[in-house]
Amino acid sequence: MTQLPGERIDPTTRIGNAELKNFVIAASGCYNRGAEFARVTDVSAYGAITLKSVALQPRLGNGMPRVLPTPAGMLNAIGLQGPGIEHFLKHEAPHLHEVPTAVIASVAGFSVAEFAEVAARMDGLANVVAIELDVSCPNVDREGECFAANPDSTAEVVRAVKARVRLPVIAKLTPNVSDIQPIARAAERAGADAISLINAVRGMAIDVAQARPWLANVSGGLTGPAIRPVAVLAVWEAAQAVRVPIIGMGGIETGRDALEFVLAGASAVAIGTANFRNPDVAAHVADALCVAAEQRGVASVRELVGLANPGFAAERLR
Amino acid sequence: MRLPLGIWTVEGDEITVLFREWGERTTQLAQSGVGTSVDLIGPLGNEFSAPAAGSRATIVAGGLGVVPFWLLGKRLLEDHVRTRVVLGARTASLLVGASELRALGLRVELCTDDGSDGIRGTVLDVLADGPPADIIYGCGPPQMLRALCAHAVSSRVPCEISMEETFGCSMGTCWGCVVPVRRGAKQGSGYPKAPGESRQYDYSRVCADGTVYAAADLVWST
Repeated sequence: MTQLPGERIDPTTRIGNAELKNFVIAASGCYNRGAEFARVTDVSAYGAITLKSVALQPRLGNGMPRVLPTPAGMLNAIGLQGPGIEHFLKHEAPHLHEVPTAVIASVAGFSVAEFAEVAARMDGLANVVAIELDVSCPNVDREGECFAANPDSTAEVVRAVKARVRLPVIAKLTPNVSDIQPIARAAERAGADAISLINAVRGMAIDVAQARPWLANVSGGLTGPAIRPVAVLAVWEAAQAVRVPIIGMGGIETGRDALEFVLAGASAVAIGTANFRNPDVAAHVADALCVAAEQRGVASVRELVGLANPGFAAERLR
Repeated sequence: MRLPLGIWTVEGDEITVLFREWGERTTQLAQSGVGTSVDLIGPLGNEFSAPAAGSRATIVAGGLGVVPFWLLGKRLLEDHVRTRVVLGARTASLLVGASELRALGLRVELCTDDGSDGIRGTVLDVLADGPPADIIYGCGPPQMLRALCAHAVSSRVPCEISMEETFGCSMGTCWGCVVPVRRGAKQGSGYPKAPGESRQYDYSRVCADGTVYAAADLVWST
């Protein structure tokens, strides 16, 4: 029997004590629990899927319009529409065992206490192997400042959650800061088992015909290939600052794109917007990373992590 | 992001879509030549309900809102539903689809705001002037749909509306294409209210829960 390219390569990775069968994760807010995409693709191609963020209370989200195509990307301002933790546990959590791959739960919060409470209730759900914290939310206790804009707020959330959960905790950081390194370090010191970045880049568009902002929320988050160079740099810098695994994301559409993140220092990559164009993207990216490892003459994708980054701080992750 | 398009005609193994060149994506699609391969996902969402044979249906479309009605009109004819079609637009050049619908055997009435084709007036003016219907189907610009819903609800005629929004994911995962619906409507999210919240509406995903809604479920001011 002939072997396919990349077939002998070990595709697995680790996020804290969570073993993932490959490097490719579905990003939060884009994939639910995969049931919709399962109608058109094989969801098990993902090493893990990240659920849409759940907050303590139900949230209606922003008014319309919420999305807009932009050059090489998309602006969105959904506003964390969601059911709240009670409704989630009753109606959505019972289906998590049906997900054909590992699940990362995502928690949104508007206070430190909310993060801790929701994360604690996600801990131990079927198939859930890690908990991601959307620390890019506004902090109501600090005049709406984004948690992830501030090392202390970020650390406070991570510490409070770590005290309540046994699963690995991932802090998802925003690129909308002047220096990512102190924030990544603060998350690590507070006990984060991994860092994921980047969240969407803030932006807006104006409807020139109507002379008003296009999005009902005025500002939104830019995603898609347009933000990839911003994301690669953020991963590069974070990888020089921390020793915990990094999940890199931002505009990944191909194996080559994912490889940039891995070589910069990402121990996993997440794909969001690209699913909307190509539902089969995960399988392609996972295979391409194995082929890249084979071409490099190494036995695992892990051995590629941080290879391009002389300041990579966590050789042990290879 | 995928470009949401309505299916216009289906004959044999050929489907046609009807759209207006409006922005970058529609222009690109319009300029793609014969033999260009196009990646599509669909059909998405739900469909119009089918009334009983012998009942009377009225289809009301504004401009490109005519798109879903070639297939519906064909089905209504096959089901022996007595069907009337009213097409309206601001001006004659924006009226499309009448000849294709007539070729199916449908009775089509036209109106324009400026009187450049058909009756001068709105689709509601035309509607008021004809026989009552057992069901109304509508698609078109929001102002027209809002007025049509108000008309249908006040005259107690069942009415189904196909809504249009920009899609994010097209799969029902991103909540980018929502419309407000009555709280408790089957197509709403069903998410509970936050404490202290008094709103009487819920959001529904046009790509996955729509595109067709009962007029009585749609909420036009929030």
